[in-house]
Amino acid sequence: MTKSLNALFTKDILRGYEMTTELNNIPGKQTARISERPARTHMSRGQVMKVSLIMGKILLKSGAETSRVEDTMMRFCRNHGYEDINVFCTPTVIMLGDEEHGGPGLLCRIRSRAIDLGLIMYMTDLSYNNLRWNMTYDEVMDWIHHRVDRARPYGKWTLCLATGLGSACFSVLLGGNYHDFLAAFINGFIATVVIKQLAGIRPSAFWENCLGGFIIGAVAMLACQVDKYCTASNIIVGALMPFVPGLPFTNGLRDYIAGDLLSGNSRIAEAVLLSLAVAIGIAIALRLWVWWGIPV
Amino acid sequence: MTDLNEYFILKHFVFAFLAAMSFGVLFQSPKKILIQGGLIGAVGWVTFIILTKGLTYPSYIANFWATVLVQLLCEVSARIFKQPATVFNVPAIIPLVPGLGMYQGMRYIINNDYAYGSNIWITTGLDACSIALGIMLVGGVFRALRLRKMFLPR
Repeated sequence: MTKSLNALFTKDILRGYEMTTELNNIPGKQTARISERPARTHMSRGQVMKVSLIMGKILLKSGAETSRVEDTMMRFCRNHGYEDINVFCTPTVIMLGDEEHGGPGLLCRIRSRAIDLGLIMYMTDLSYNNLRWNMTYDEVMDWIHHRVDRARPYGKWTLCLATGLGSACFSVLLGGNYHDFLAAFINGFIATVVIKQLAGIRPSAFWENCLGGFIIGAVAMLACQVDKYCTASNIIVGALMPFVPGLPFTNGLRDYIAGDLLSGNSRIAEAVLLSLAVAIGIAIALRLWVWWGIPV
Repeated sequence: MTDLNEYFILKHFVFAFLAAMSFGVLFQSPKKILIQGGLIGAVGWVTFIILTKGLTYPSYIANFWATVLVQLLCEVSARIFKQPATVFNVPAIIPLVPGLGMYQGMRYIINNDYAYGSNIWITTGLDACSIALGIMLVGGVFRALRLRKMFLPR
């Protein structure tokens, strides 16, 4: 388990966890509401909104698409009988509020995202089953806390090995031979190890991809020097696969089709920017190789 | 047309399975659904290979049909294993997703070859559009038929 990263993740998500008593004093809770149904749960309006916001935050940080985040949060609120709560979500911000004058409004800013399918699974589970489980606010928060603590089941070195294996398999799928397989394995492994080691200083995604591209280009040229059966383009193509932004681009188009235009814009812009970063890194590596006069 | 024999298809199946599975690990997918995601991804990639290399379809049509097949399998296995469909979908779509085109187009544009770079980008955009369309189409059909109810009791 990566202790430090996990602690960062947990601390960031559950920042407001100790606010249990404070939440009962949200202004507007005592006033009668036209659209308020008889309570089906133990939770007050403020508590439902808080749990819903934390669910959305975890989902968005785990890389879920916008429509899924909004659906899950709305479903949680509706299941608890609060039909007038609205959600607005883009890849960087979640807003949650209702249509009353002076009602509560919660807002949350998301700065970093990393795909984590396990957390998406747990949160969807919670939003479908919360009524049958019939939990109080503290129990729900304990449940979420427990799941977030046990998130990220694979350690750092497993991740690096898996990235290497994925890169190697892609280099064969896209036309390489078995020398390329080995070289791409080493290449992907080294690039991921370096990036994971530098994760402590929190570089932005642009610089991470730029550095990844640079390392991939350099190691690929080195492998071609060592083994004459290797082809540089095949190794680069395979080892790049974890870095190129194919999934953000497709998710952006999915957001467009689902009608979330703002999220689609930002995801496609992110994809173009990341591909620019990778291309710049590789171009620098190849240009330096030629500039130093080493024959290719 | 090319060397599309049983050996070729088997090799691609095995390597696509390994690739999709290791990307499942990279995306922190739970251990009990790694194998299923890898198998679905391998089926999608082999469909894509057969359609492009064997039947010489354009790349976006092959992508569309492969994605439709992948998403069908994802929705069915979501009902069987009682998990949301995204969990199977994200690793399985990885071999089809046109990330490489994004990089190559940008590389040619950096190297002053604007014409070929934008050519690659338009192809990439078409591929990504057809993938997104396939996912939304099958997901929408499953949602409209209210098959979601099978998800609730466990």
